[in-house]
Amino acid sequence: MLKKLMLALPVVAMMSGAALGADDYPDRSIRFIIGFGAGGNADTVARIVAEPMTQDLGQPVVVESKPGAGGNVASDFVSKSDPDGYTIQLMVGGHAVSAALYKSQPFDPLADFTFISTIGRFPFFVATRAGAFESIEDLIAKAKAAPGTLKIGHSGVGSTQHLTGELMDLKTGADFIHVPYKGGAAAATALLGGEVDVVIDTGTVMTPQEAAGSFDILAVTSAVRWPDKPDVPTLSETVSPDFDIVSWTGVGMPAGVPAEVADKLRASLHAAMADPDVAARIAKLGAKPSPSSGEEMRAMVERQIGLWKTVVDAAGIQKR
Amino acid sequence: MAEQFLLGLSVVLQPHVLMYAFFGVLLGQVIGLLPGVGAITAISLLLPVTFYLDPTSSVILLAGIYYGSQYGGAIASILLNLPGTPSSVVTCLEGYPLAQSGRAGFALLVTAVSSFIGSMFGVLIVVLAAIPMAALALKFGAPEYTMLVALGLVAASLISSGSPIRAFSMALVGIALGMVGSDANTGQYRFVATDALADGISLVSLAMGLFGVSEIIRNASNVETRKIDVKLSYKDLLPTRAELRSMVAPVGRGASIGAFFGALPGTGAAIAAFMAYALERRISRTPKEFGKGHLPGLCAPESANNAAAQTSFIPTLTLGIPGDAVMALIIGALILNGIIPGPRLIVDEPQLFWGVIASFFVGNIILLIINIPLIGLWVRLLSIPYHRLYPAIVLLICVGVYAHRSSVTDVVLTLVFGLLGYVMKWFRFEPAPVLLGFVLGPMFEENFRRTMLLYSGDFTVFLTRPISATLVFCGVALLAFTLISPIVSRRKTLKSLKGHGGPFSV
Repeated sequence: MLKKLMLALPVVAMMSGAALGADDYPDRSIRFIIGFGAGGNADTVARIVAEPMTQDLGQPVVVESKPGAGGNVASDFVSKSDPDGYTIQLMVGGHAVSAALYKSQPFDPLADFTFISTIGRFPFFVATRAGAFESIEDLIAKAKAAPGTLKIGHSGVGSTQHLTGELMDLKTGADFIHVPYKGGAAAATALLGGEVDVVIDTGTVMTPQEAAGSFDILAVTSAVRWPDKPDVPTLSETVSPDFDIVSWTGVGMPAGVPAEVADKLRASLHAAMADPDVAARIAKLGAKPSPSSGEEMRAMVERQIGLWKTVVDAAGIQKR
Repeated sequence: MAEQFLLGLSVVLQPHVLMYAFFGVLLGQVIGLLPGVGAITAISLLLPVTFYLDPTSSVILLAGIYYGSQYGGAIASILLNLPGTPSSVVTCLEGYPLAQSGRAGFALLVTAVSSFIGSMFGVLIVVLAAIPMAALALKFGAPEYTMLVALGLVAASLISSGSPIRAFSMALVGIALGMVGSDANTGQYRFVATDALADGISLVSLAMGLFGVSEIIRNASNVETRKIDVKLSYKDLLPTRAELRSMVAPVGRGASIGAFFGALPGTGAAIAAFMAYALERRISRTPKEFGKGHLPGLCAPESANNAAAQTSFIPTLTLGIPGDAVMALIIGALILNGIIPGPRLIVDEPQLFWGVIASFFVGNIILLIINIPLIGLWVRLLSIPYHRLYPAIVLLICVGVYAHRSSVTDVVLTLVFGLLGYVMKWFRFEPAPVLLGFVLGPMFEENFRRTMLLYSGDFTVFLTRPISATLVFCGVALLAFTLISPIVSRRKTLKSLKGHGGPFSV
């Protein structure tokens, strides 16, 4: 009975609002679906923008967590929701990774979505224990000199961090052992404790440890130096030309949302991000606030899907 | 140290901060009481509120919910065999039989006091030894975790009141259930029937099903109406001198175990409670009393899970590393407020660091004060006829399990596990080892395979690292002792029978 009631709720909600045009949009609350647990990076970003969007749109934007299968549960749910603008999704870089990693997905990662805008873009940092290596060149040289001995701890098999490490292997010819942990924090703990030699993860994981003098940040994965850390060299200028990995968060909707509705939501999101306070909060997460058009976001996702497919195949990672 | 703690007290005793501490622990208490709704759900719902608070008040509020829920979790366990949180599963084992024999109020008082003492010990450890404890936690790598978990699995065979073989087979069932989901080392899916299971079976739904729902089915199918004689006079509420004496050592041991497990990232209150219970059974002179409302088995795990709830803040506050999902949320709240927690927190934000710690101290006193008068109210719950109570409980369980990760599959599974638990009880199999196997099995596999990957398949690493070797030794000793002691005691009985010239049939 309860199950039926719960299943019926969204149906009722859909019927009540499907026929309205963009002028009235939104006339009720918007579900902001995230594919990860509360408190994570995705959840935090969603809450940062949901708050000012609620004020701007005059209707509550309610963050709702549908965790599971690396965000696929949420993506599946959103792709099959009514394209009326009342179900939106916080997408992350994992959206493109999943497309490369899964044998089959119950949705098309490009065609089944309306892309609204990216929110933040953030690189990964290559860190080691303080004093363990002189530079990124030193690390890669030592890794090449003794193949299969140095270890990279990463936040989980098939995470963007993992694939970035594999890409570093492929592009530099180094041969690291890639050790999975449950999340970036666990990997950082392993680096602190001396169990692994390298961790590649976001600035939020690395910066506090660097500030405390426990980690050295050797390199950044973006093509150009990251504004927050201008002294950190890029992988592309040192050991791996053209290395360019920047992950992202953004907003998507089901395919087929009327253009006016999508534009209205995009305008509201961009207005929210223009607020210096909101921008500062996004920046605190180690991300650069990056409002974009829907086409730009779609093209970026398409490009990354292609890249990750190459990495998954070349590194011989089993698809799931 | 005292000076910093006073600084913390001066922060937390400001009226508005004190109000958030009070609100947090009160909410935690209620959340813990509700079956299935855990601290995680409550904290994630309240996370947006912290936008409007200063960082210190935010963390004090959210932390209060977490350790407050440890108190509340015991209440439904004792009254209805419903573990409000996974860490209060063990509380069911002794607390529920006590309530059934009419001593619910007594059991609630004992757990409130044990919880308080355990918490205070945990706070003391945080104040005095946060930094060395964090350093110790970092010494635990994959081999140490592997052996710690192995030790736990051996101990699992001790926590059942039935035979060790039966308990061990139930632990194996738990391990098998724990296999469902993504393999942490390859990312491959195992036994994933629907996408909803890609991240595994939820601990909440397993615990609620095996304990709460199975008990409801059992009671509902009983033709005779359940009648519990509720005693509420002070004489019945207060422990006797002998009972009091029997509690002192278990509370102390529980607090120590809890403080240790809490500080290790990745383990936590639930494992601490199980371990404290297993230890009490192992060293008890009257192991037969367990499962019938034995006091040491009630107060040790309660003291342990509360101590663990406090010390689990150690890695978060000193290293900026969350040990579990709740701590990740609290770090999330700090980040939302523009503070990136890390090793420098204690230096850069002493007001926040010590304010939060002092709030644990104050919050636990508040919890003790609000818990004792409420005992009378809770106990009256038992005078409601069961057939009126259980539809409401089933509904609460379903809502709680659904809220955990918005999954209808989880709700269905809870009911399935309820049936399973009912059948198991029919055949006299205990549910507690299933849960322990479920929690520890995947941890063992993950850490064992990580060890093999890190040390290129070298088994000797378990014996060459001192902490790991100590754990191996403890495990082997425990196993040997468990296997040999029944044989020895049977021989003794045999001998004494022969000595008395009695018949040879035993």
